[in-house]
Amino acid sequence: MDHVSFEVPEGSVFGILGPNGSGKTTLLGIVTDVLKATSGNYTWFGEAASEKSRRQLGTLLETPNFYHYLSGERNLSIAANIKEKDGHDIPRILELVRLAERKHSKFSTYSLGMKQRLAIASCLIGNPPVLVFDEPTNGLDPAGIAEIRQMIRDLAKEGKTIILASHLLDEVEKVCTHVAILQRGKLITAGNVNEVLVNEELVEVSAPDMERLRLALNDFAGVKQIRSYENIFQVYFNNGTPDLSTINQFCFSRGIVLNHLQLKKKSLESKFIEITNNATN
Amino acid sequence: MLIITIVSIPAFNYSIYDFGDNSFPKVRGQSLFGSPFAFPDVWATVPWVSSLLFVIPAILIITLTTNEFTYRTHRQNIIDGWSRKQFIYVKLFEVFLLSVLTTLVVFLTALYFGFVLNTVPEGVSKTHNMRYLLFYFIEMISYSSIAFLLSTFIRRAGLTMGIFFIYMVFEQFVVGLLRNKYHQNWVDYLPEEVTDKLLPSVFERVLRTTEAKQVWENHIPVYIGLAAVYLTVYCIVTTWKFRKTDL
Repeated sequence: MDHVSFEVPEGSVFGILGPNGSGKTTLLGIVTDVLKATSGNYTWFGEAASEKSRRQLGTLLETPNFYHYLSGERNLSIAANIKEKDGHDIPRILELVRLAERKHSKFSTYSLGMKQRLAIASCLIGNPPVLVFDEPTNGLDPAGIAEIRQMIRDLAKEGKTIILASHLLDEVEKVCTHVAILQRGKLITAGNVNEVLVNEELVEVSAPDMERLRLALNDFAGVKQIRSYENIFQVYFNNGTPDLSTINQFCFSRGIVLNHLQLKKKSLESKFIEITNNATN
Repeated sequence: MLIITIVSIPAFNYSIYDFGDNSFPKVRGQSLFGSPFAFPDVWATVPWVSSLLFVIPAILIITLTTNEFTYRTHRQNIIDGWSRKQFIYVKLFEVFLLSVLTTLVVFLTALYFGFVLNTVPEGVSKTHNMRYLLFYFIEMISYSSIAFLLSTFIRRAGLTMGIFFIYMVFEQFVVGLLRNKYHQNWVDYLPEEVTDKLLPSVFERVLRTTEAKQVWENHIPVYIGLAAVYLTVYCIVTTWKFRKTDL
């Protein structure tokens, strides 16, 4: 990690987004004291971090870690003990993650999705004000993914602060209010999700003579960037997209007849790739 | 594993007792030499025989510790709100508790052999030699702490057990070689040997001269003191290691 610094506002759903190996888990490992940083500091709840502050968190880091030879219920009561919570809500939580029927089975007999759900259950013990989820939908089926996302939204509605690390842009976009983007251990950008992942528009054009089209477009006012893409130019503009008919008229006046002209919304996926690519270059 | 540990102590003692009982000539149903399993020698014999089983509690400690690393529950415990110190203290307490438990089993086994399997000899103190129980406890907690130390450094069950055994055998080999061939006496103070010295074997106890016995008696505080120093070092090193590394 290299000079990563940001603050998570109370009550936000904060996404930490980055490709595999970008340092999401390392970052969360450092703030939960399982990894030692060479330098730097962090605080929880505005105070120096300690085991006491960790008890106020519900954390799922990377993989579900439980005693394989103990039952799901027993594992949860161990976690409750460590968190110094009485564990009266364990039956309710097991119901919530749909593990009540299997609560007496050994953890080792659980499927991947069930293990993941038990890990999420463990986070909910004692109703902590802050939840840290590292790839919470890993290994879940589509229904399970939808359920967990709904649960995260519900928890956010209750006013909980949620920190969600994910490489799935779509997940972050769907549930987060804030986002930080990491790549190769560097913080690329952080802020409100609507500002960071703003939808951009672009215009696709093509003509029989692509070279002349490029020259002409270079003269068009407000063009930021032209990208060649499978015999099509993707044109980006500086301040808002001009009317398509203006572009058409401009090209025609230069003697170019367009055979393709289309307004496109840039997908978040490509936005994400663009952000991370720019940072590399 | 815990059950094996508990059961193995009386069982192994019984098999040794049985072997001894049937192997030596008897005169009118009485053993020629007097049974080492009768009071007061039973207090020295049972701890020594049981100490030969040091491997079993060590395996238990290694399994319990490396399991945490394998299932990454050591990580989860910290994440859930234990400090690293708390975690390691709980584990050290586990080592202590297991040593207390095995000592208790040895105590009960010795009582059983002394009272039930052997006739209680007339005019002998039934509590004499009970200090060997303490020596047994010291030996067990030292061995288990070595096993624990290795577990926190190596983290993998098989490798830890391998290295533990190799070290135990290697030290015995070094001790035997240096002492018998080169008359180096400092080898008595190596981590494993120093506690071994506290529990001399039945044969050694019977065969040694009065003079040798006196030397041994005089050295007991040294052995115990050194064992305590080693134990402190193990605890400090393990705690330091666990507090410093990435989990």
